[in-house]
Amino acid sequence: MPELCLYFQVHQPNRLKNYTFFDIGKDPFYENDELNRDILSTVSDRSYLPANSLFTELIEAHPGKVKLTLSLSGVVLEQLEHHRPDVLASFQDLVATGAVELLCETYYHSLCYRASGKEFTRQVEKQMETLKRLFNKTPTVFRHTELIYFNELAAFVEELGFKAQLAEGIEHVLNGRSPNHLYQSPNLESMKTILRNNTLSDDLAFRFADPHWKGYPLTPKTYAQWVKASGGDLVGIFLDYETIGEHIERPSGIFRFWKELPAALEAQNITMTTPSEALEKFESAGEYDCPEITSWADTAKDISAWRSNPMQEEAKAKILSLEKAVKAHDNPELLHQWSKMQTSDHFYYMCTKGGTDGEVHKHFNPYASPYDAYLTFMNALSDLQIRVGL
Amino acid sequence: MLGWEFPPLINGGLGIACLGLGRAIAKHVDLTFILPQTDPSYLVDRVNLVGLNHLTEQDLETMFQTEELQSFAEVDLIAANLQPYLDAAPETSERLQTENKTITPYVKFKDDTGLALFADQGSLYGEDLNTRVVAYARAAAALADNRDFDIIHAHDWMTFLAGMEIKARTGKPLVLHVHSLSYDRAGPEARGWIFDIEKEAMEAADLIIPVSQYTGTICADHYGIDHSKIHPVHNGADPVKAFRSEKTFPEKLVLFLGRVTGQKGPRFFLEIAAKVLEQNRNVRFVMAGTGERLRELIEYGAFRDVGDRLHFTGFLNRDKVNELLSMTDVYCMPSVSEPFGLSALEAVQFDIPAVISHQSGVAEVLTKARKADYWDVDKMAAHIIELISDDKAHAEAVAASREDQQNCTWDQAALKVIALYASQLATEK
Repeated sequence: MPELCLYFQVHQPNRLKNYTFFDIGKDPFYENDELNRDILSTVSDRSYLPANSLFTELIEAHPGKVKLTLSLSGVVLEQLEHHRPDVLASFQDLVATGAVELLCETYYHSLCYRASGKEFTRQVEKQMETLKRLFNKTPTVFRHTELIYFNELAAFVEELGFKAQLAEGIEHVLNGRSPNHLYQSPNLESMKTILRNNTLSDDLAFRFADPHWKGYPLTPKTYAQWVKASGGDLVGIFLDYETIGEHIERPSGIFRFWKELPAALEAQNITMTTPSEALEKFESAGEYDCPEITSWADTAKDISAWRSNPMQEEAKAKILSLEKAVKAHDNPELLHQWSKMQTSDHFYYMCTKGGTDGEVHKHFNPYASPYDAYLTFMNALSDLQIRVGL
Repeated sequence: MLGWEFPPLINGGLGIACLGLGRAIAKHVDLTFILPQTDPSYLVDRVNLVGLNHLTEQDLETMFQTEELQSFAEVDLIAANLQPYLDAAPETSERLQTENKTITPYVKFKDDTGLALFADQGSLYGEDLNTRVVAYARAAAALADNRDFDIIHAHDWMTFLAGMEIKARTGKPLVLHVHSLSYDRAGPEARGWIFDIEKEAMEAADLIIPVSQYTGTICADHYGIDHSKIHPVHNGADPVKAFRSEKTFPEKLVLFLGRVTGQKGPRFFLEIAAKVLEQNRNVRFVMAGTGERLRELIEYGAFRDVGDRLHFTGFLNRDKVNELLSMTDVYCMPSVSEPFGLSALEAVQFDIPAVISHQSGVAEVLTKARKADYWDVDKMAAHIIELISDDKAHAEAVAASREDQQNCTWDQAALKVIALYASQLATEK
C-alpha cells in the first residue's frame, strides 16, 4: 500500500516595473512594488489563506493523519512580511500544528548553481536562516527551483548536508521503473531522491478542471483509488500551492476536493507521509541516474522554460556574471537587488514557447510579450552594471 | 497639391515634407492642398487645406457632377489587402492602432462617394488602403472640377491616381513629387498595383520631382522614365528647437531612429553595433522605432550578446525623440534605400554628426558626412569608432554638417519647384 507524500510550493517573484532606456543610470529601483503587492494579495485571498485554513482544519479533524510538506521561497516570505503579515501568520500557524514539514531551497528561487556554487550555497544558507527565524524550523530535505535536478547538483546538495532532494520522475530516467520509491543518485553517500509522480500530480495541477479530460469530474474517491492502484512505497504529489484556488479556481470544486480527500484516502487505507518520515521508513529502490538537467516545468520537464532562446541565455549569463563586481561592493542592498534579478521567473517570462506551455507561462506575467520581458530586464541590468562599475 | 499624410494627424516623413514645402511655396503661389483628412483647428499660413473629412457644404453640393471618371472608368475589380507599411508588434508601439473591421475583398467602383472612408481619424492606411486611394482620387477630381488652377502637384503614389484623373479631365500639367517608391519600401523586385500606379503616373506626368538624385536615378533606371522630365529637388528641414542634455550613463550614445523595417537597414545597424563593441565598450546603441523586423532583431541582438549595450525603445513620441537626440553622440542611418532621410538633417540640428549610407538622398546634401555602403559594416563601424573616440574629429564633423545644413531650407526647395513650374508652363504655351 503506497503512502502519499503531498508537497506544495509557494513562490511569487519580484516583477520588474516598466524600466525603459531613459531610466538607465537614473533610477536604481527596478521593481513594480504595487503590482507585486496586488498579485500577492489576490493570490493570498484566492489561494493561500483559504488553503491554509482548510489544511489547518483538516489537520485538527484528522490528528496524526493529515500531513503536508511546504516550501516557501525566500522572496515570497519577504513579500509576505512586507505586504501581508496576516498571511505569513497564517502560514506560521499552519506550520505550528506540527503536521507540516518545511523544505529548503535557494532563497531567491534562482538558477545560479552552474555559474557559481558559492552563490548557490549563500542562497541556501540565507533560506535556512529565514526559515529558522520565521518558523523555527531547520529543514533536512531540499528542493531546487521548479524541481530542477541532475546528478551533479544532487552531489552538491548532499555536500551541504541534506538527507534528500526532490525531483521530477522522468520516464526515460526511470526506464520502466515506478516513480513511487526512494532512489539514490549514483556515487552519493546516502542522500535519497524523492520523485514526483507526474501523472497523478498533473491530474491535480492541470487537468482537474478540464471538462474535456476523460477523468473529469474527478472525485476524491476515484483519486484515492488511483493512488492506491499506482502502487510502490510512496506517491509524490508535488504541486504549486496556487493550484488550489488560483490556477484552478474555486468554482471547479477544488476546495471541496481537498477537503474530502483525507477521508477518501483513509477509506482506501492510504496514509500520508512527509519526506523525512519516508526516509525513516523506506529503502532506496536503486539508482536514479540523471546526468541531464530536469525539472517539473512545461511538457518537456527540462530547463527549456528558462533557457530555450538567446534572450534567456544572454539575460541569465549576464546577470550571473556580475557576481564578483556586486560582491566587491560589500553593499547588502545592492547584493539583494542583484540576487532578486536571478529569480527564475524573469527568464520564464522571456520564453517564446507557444501552445499549452505558452499558456501556462502567462500566469502572473506582467509583460505583453517575451520581448518586452527581455528588454525591460536588460535595461535594469544595464543600470546595475553601471552601479557596480562595469 | 494632392497629398496623403499631413500634420498634425500623421507626422511621418511624407506629411512633414508636404507641410514644409507647401508652407514655403504658398509664399509665391496660390496653393490649395487636397488631403484625405485635415484637422480643422490646424491652419497653415496662406495654404488652403481641403480635407475630405471636413468638406464645405458648397463643395459637397457641387461635387460629382461630371459624368464619367476617365482614368478608372473601365476598371471593375481590383484585388485588395495591400499593406505598404506592415504593422509593428503591438506591445512595442505606442502608436494608435486603428483597424478597420469591415474587410472588403474587392473594390467596386461607381457606388457612392466613398467620403465616409475618411471620417475616422488616423485610419489612412490598412487593409482597405486601395479603396481609400480610389475614393480619394474620385473626390479630389470632383473638387478640382470646380476650381481654377494651373498646375497639378501630387505627392507619392497614393495621390497619383487622382493626379492622372485631373490631368485627363483638365489637360493641366501634372507634376509628381516622389518622396518614396515601392522600390524603396518593398525592394527592387516588388511588382503589383503600387508599382503599376507609380510607373503609369510617371509616364503620364509632365514633370517628376524626386527628393534626391538617388531617387531620380531609380525613377529613370528602374521605372524606365524619360530622364529629361526628372528634376530632383532636395527636401529642406524646418529649424527645430535643439538642445543638449547630459546623459545619465558614462558611455557614448549612437542612435538609429526610424521604422524597424528592411528598407532602413536595422539589421546592419545591429551588425555595426556588434562590430564597434568588439573594439570599444564605451558606447551604447539605441534603436528607436518599431516595425515588423523588431522581434527578430531583439533576438538577434541577444544572440550577438550585445543586449546590455543595444537598447530598443519601441515607438517614441516627439518629446522623447528630442530627449534622445539631445543625448546622442553619433547618428547612424544605414538605410538600404532612402529617398531622402530627413532624420539625419534633424540630427545635425542637434549637433550630432551622421554616419549614413551612400544609398540615401541626404548623402547628397550632407557632403562631408561620413558615408559607407549600407552593407559595409566594417567601414560604418570604423566611422563610428572614430567619432566616439576622437573628440576633435567629432567637433569637426559637427561643424561641417552645420555648414551643409545651411543650404537645406524649404524656402530654397520652394524656389526650385516654382522655377520648374514656370518652365513647364512656358513650354505649354
